[in-house]
Amino acid sequence: MTTDLETENMALLQFLYACPAGLVEFSAAGAIGMVNPAAMGLLMPIAGKPFVINMFDVMDTCAPELRNLVQQFAPPQGTVCDGHRIVTGRGERSTILACSIVKLTQDRYVATLADVTEQVARERRLKQAETWFASLLDGVDDVAVLSLDANGCIDAVTPSTTRQTGFTEAELLGKPFEWFDRSDRASAMPPTGEAIAVAQRDGWYLHEGWHALANGGRYWCQRLVAVREESAGAAARYTLVIRAVTRQGRDTADLRRMLTRDHLTGASNRAHFFETAERQRVRALQDRGSLALVVLDVDHFKRVNDEHGHAAGDVVLREVAQRCEAELRPEDIFARLGGEEFVVLLPGISLMEASAVAERLRASLVREPIDAGGIQLCITASFGCSALDTDPTASLAGLLAAADGALYKAKRAGRDRVAVSNADQAAA
Amino acid sequence: MRGDTVLSFEAIPLDTLLTLEADQLDSLPYGVVGLSTEGIVEIYNATEAKLAGLQSDGVIGTHYFAVTAQCMNNFMVAQRFEDEAEIDAIIDYVLTLRMRPTPVRLRLLKAPRVDRHYILVQR
Repeated sequence: MTTDLETENMALLQFLYACPAGLVEFSAAGAIGMVNPAAMGLLMPIAGKPFVINMFDVMDTCAPELRNLVQQFAPPQGTVCDGHRIVTGRGERSTILACSIVKLTQDRYVATLADVTEQVARERRLKQAETWFASLLDGVDDVAVLSLDANGCIDAVTPSTTRQTGFTEAELLGKPFEWFDRSDRASAMPPTGEAIAVAQRDGWYLHEGWHALANGGRYWCQRLVAVREESAGAAARYTLVIRAVTRQGRDTADLRRMLTRDHLTGASNRAHFFETAERQRVRALQDRGSLALVVLDVDHFKRVNDEHGHAAGDVVLREVAQRCEAELRPEDIFARLGGEEFVVLLPGISLMEASAVAERLRASLVREPIDAGGIQLCITASFGCSALDTDPTASLAGLLAAADGALYKAKRAGRDRVAVSNADQAAA
Repeated sequence: MRGDTVLSFEAIPLDTLLTLEADQLDSLPYGVVGLSTEGIVEIYNATEAKLAGLQSDGVIGTHYFAVTAQCMNNFMVAQRFEDEAEIDAIIDYVLTLRMRPTPVRLRLLKAPRVDRHYILVQR
């Protein structure tokens, strides 16, 4: 005969087995104590194997910041993160997880995990519409209105446009509106032609970004491209509305940094890298230009962690990121892929040029040891390069895999060196 | 048919599983889950009930991969039952028995023209 307590216990277990959200309890070192099937179902594909015993080890490939978030959370209890987005996978079919972590005691944490891939895609479109409609409610004075021809070239402007941008009518007329984009690392613009293409399909296109000022500066704005009704037979024309966003204060800058940067190293995060890289790949294809990737992995990094502790390991990662970023152009993207693995996105660069960039990065690491709290560590890294000029049909995932393959060659050949994909061809 | 090896986790044939009575299934030292072609639990032996902390009555009649074993609802287990006509495979796996990550060995059994397939669980 089962007792009431046993019956209740079983009902609780059944409840947890069937729970559609992932639940994980883990220690300060990440060791998983309790985990429900939904969480295991989400963690297993990330681990690539069914053996999942440590939360930080599993997440190291896609969310290495979790360990830092937990370690740096000083209060004795409380919410470590809420709905923290994790982009899993390597380019193709990325699953996006929302992860919340609550600290219960010094050595006990509970996390929830949910697959929000669909939701993120829906939200993106909804958010665009919302910002725009909200913006219509306050001050319409700072709205510039331009008319675009079928090719997206400016053919008429309102006086408010010259007021807002400082450009004269003559300077604006006849130019493609995208000439006035002033993007940077944190706010890559959509590829040329995308705004018009989407507006044609959906009737409108909305984007936020930097727009040029006549005095050489730039301002943050929301930009709406809308199809204009024309008489039958005439080619479609467009109205471009630009609204200056004056609330470009510290909060927005902080938020932008948070959304695009890796918590520990300040390098770009995975989400930002994948989004920008795919955009750049499409742009390179359209312009018949190139695009290169350099994947780098710090040599014997596990040894640093094992011998000197995670704090020293963190210093090394930060310094590696800093030295590499210093060697790159503003339009290049240096991102942390996971653990001690980074990737550089080099727009317009061929495979051979990428190999030279990688060599420069390699040299910047070996030039002098890294000071990790008084300990001098000689750090090297291995590099693998791939590029569109030698493989024009490659997908982003394909480019990454090719760079990974080259990185593996560099590791096998003795580390602290650069290898390029399809070396046979390159050497010939 | 009382030989230990014939009834062992590695050796027991699908035909034998189909003929065993409930009490015989319960006495096996490993978990036995029998599923209909739609994934509904038809067999849930005592060993499996004990490992999972559940009672057979509460599990039988429910959809196994949706209600009790979401962590097997992937390409390694559930998908294989859908894709392959015949399976007799042993795989290393981790289950969340009573919410503890538990390394186990799974044996997946499916044969053509048999309406029930089996998952055997050995801790």
